Amino acid sequence: MADIFNFIFGVVRNIFRMFSSSRNPLNNSLNIFIKCNTGNTLTVGLDPKWDIKDVKNIIAPKLGANPDEVKIIFAGKELDDSIIIEDCDLGEQSTLHAVKLKDLSIRATKQKKCSLLRETVEDEDEITLLQEKNNRDKSHFYVYCSVCAAMKIGKLRIRCSKCKSGAFTVDTDPKSWNDVLKPNKISGHCEQNDCPDGVFGWAQFYFRCAEHICQGENDIAVPLYLLKNNLRKIPCLACTEIKDIVFVFTCREAHVTCLECFRVYAVLRLRERQFVLDDSFGYTISCPVGCENSLIDECHHFKLLTKEQYEMYQKFATEEYILKAGGVLCPQPGCGEGIIVDLKCDKIVCVNGCGYVFCRKCLQGYHIGECNSVDNNISIDNIQHVTDPAKALQARWDEATNVAIRVTTKPCPKCRTATERSGGCMHMICTRCSFHWCWVCQIEWSRDCMGTHWFG
Amino acid sequence: MAATRRLQKELNDMRVHGLKCFRDIQVDESNILSWTGLIVPENPPFNKGAFRIEINFPAEYPFKPPKINFKTKIYHPNIDEKGQVCLPIISAENWKPATKTDQVIQALVALVNDPEPEHPLRAELAEEYLKDRKKFFKLAEEYTKKHSEKRPAD
Repeated sequence: MADIFNFIFGVVRNIFRMFSSSRNPLNNSLNIFIKCNTGNTLTVGLDPKWDIKDVKNIIAPKLGANPDEVKIIFAGKELDDSIIIEDCDLGEQSTLHAVKLKDLSIRATKQKKCSLLRETVEDEDEITLLQEKNNRDKSHFYVYCSVCAAMKIGKLRIRCSKCKSGAFTVDTDPKSWNDVLKPNKISGHCEQNDCPDGVFGWAQFYFRCAEHICQGENDIAVPLYLLKNNLRKIPCLACTEIKDIVFVFTCREAHVTCLECFRVYAVLRLRERQFVLDDSFGYTISCPVGCENSLIDECHHFKLLTKEQYEMYQKFATEEYILKAGGVLCPQPGCGEGIIVDLKCDKIVCVNGCGYVFCRKCLQGYHIGECNSVDNNISIDNIQHVTDPAKALQARWDEATNVAIRVTTKPCPKCRTATERSGGCMHMICTRCSFHWCWVCQIEWSRDCMGTHWFG
Repeated sequence: MAATRRLQKELNDMRVHGLKCFRDIQVDESNILSWTGLIVPENPPFNKGAFRIEINFPAEYPFKPPKINFKTKIYHPNIDEKGQVCLPIISAENWKPATKTDQVIQALVALVNDPEPEHPLRAELAEEYLKDRKKFFKLAEEYTKKHSEKRPAD
């Protein structure tokens, strides 16, 4: 009897509260979705000053439960009654999960003080963990957000790896990026009624952009986990300045650059075609110090470049992929379409590109018989009508460019990439195939070249 | 620009904690990418003078190495008639962006003080250095006296 009385009293109080809050609209109320494990989703305006107990009082009637039978879950953690909403890192239109407990005794075992998951996931020792807590406001995850099309501060969120429901609580906190990025590292408990995993499941971690209003379940962002807040005040290895956000390379030494120097470095290596196409990581580069095993293993980090630079990155990556797969690039100026070819056939048609028909071996227009060498591929022997051969030689479209390329470049003796020598010594290193060759002899670089004509 | 900021810092450091063997650093106000300075070797036969060098930093510094040129003529197996020098620390393959200019200068001064005839740019001088050290010293000293600049007084 007393319970019923309490319940009615609670409902009346809440109705009164909602009513009064609608009469005095809150200036900074948060619009939050509350998803119940029954499948309903409610939209509520919450005062950031309220605590979780207040939220439960609102939700309980909708679930047909008492407030103390309700569990509020957010980002993999059950929220304690005393937690104030504004301390929860809830953004506008975030989703909280409300669950009606089936058995109150489960609850008693889980009454430990809840710590909110935020920016404390790092491979840190205890002292730095403390420091990070003190620096909470300065410490963030960074993501690439495709909605904002930029690097943004990110928020870590958790859902059930099976049913993707957010009504999921983790058994332990993730302690490193490894726990977050690799699947099935952190176990937990899914509260969704129809989830096949239920009592024992695996947590799936994902990120949201913290800077735009959430646009629904699929509005997720890629973590740029090599970006860190420079709480340890490490100077950039290139410009030596201490910046707030730094790029930490994957080498054992964990070399650090600032974001500006990372961009300069990446663009330089990109323009020089010094990226490598790695089977597991994609088109990438290693630490600027040249450390072993330091390839950047998440290519979204190159989204830190400008749009144009990133487009160049994608173009080069595609070209390298095609060449590695045994394909060819259309040799027509301005085309460059990648074509995967049948190795038995020398006649290639640029089908999806410009339509040019060319020879796979010499990359000149298609011909029957042996390839001519590049230098005398244009023959005027079989022209019937009479023209002045000297005039005809000058009057060729693109010939000026061809001549310039032929005069100023030499082909790499190994891969035949036209190479220009802009200065320095005669020791050439091919930017495409890394072959060491001599500009004078056009053969592999040797000690003999060094001794006799190193500097020309 | 990363290069400008880094070079400004390096220049200030080098001016505050000056190297004894590298003096009179001059940088054009309008172009911090080009420095000149005076190499002051310790070892004979080059300790009779000082040698003006030019250091050119690329815009992509420190991701690309600086280039060094001798403006003063020097009789040395590792420095050619045009003033070009082969210094492994600033070769494209060995260059590390964290290498500072004072380390480069120290490597250069070490090379001037103690020639490396195994990696010569002037094979005939290397041969002379190895086979007739006395003759090499005599000619190098004469050459130094004739072409080099005055050593700083202090």
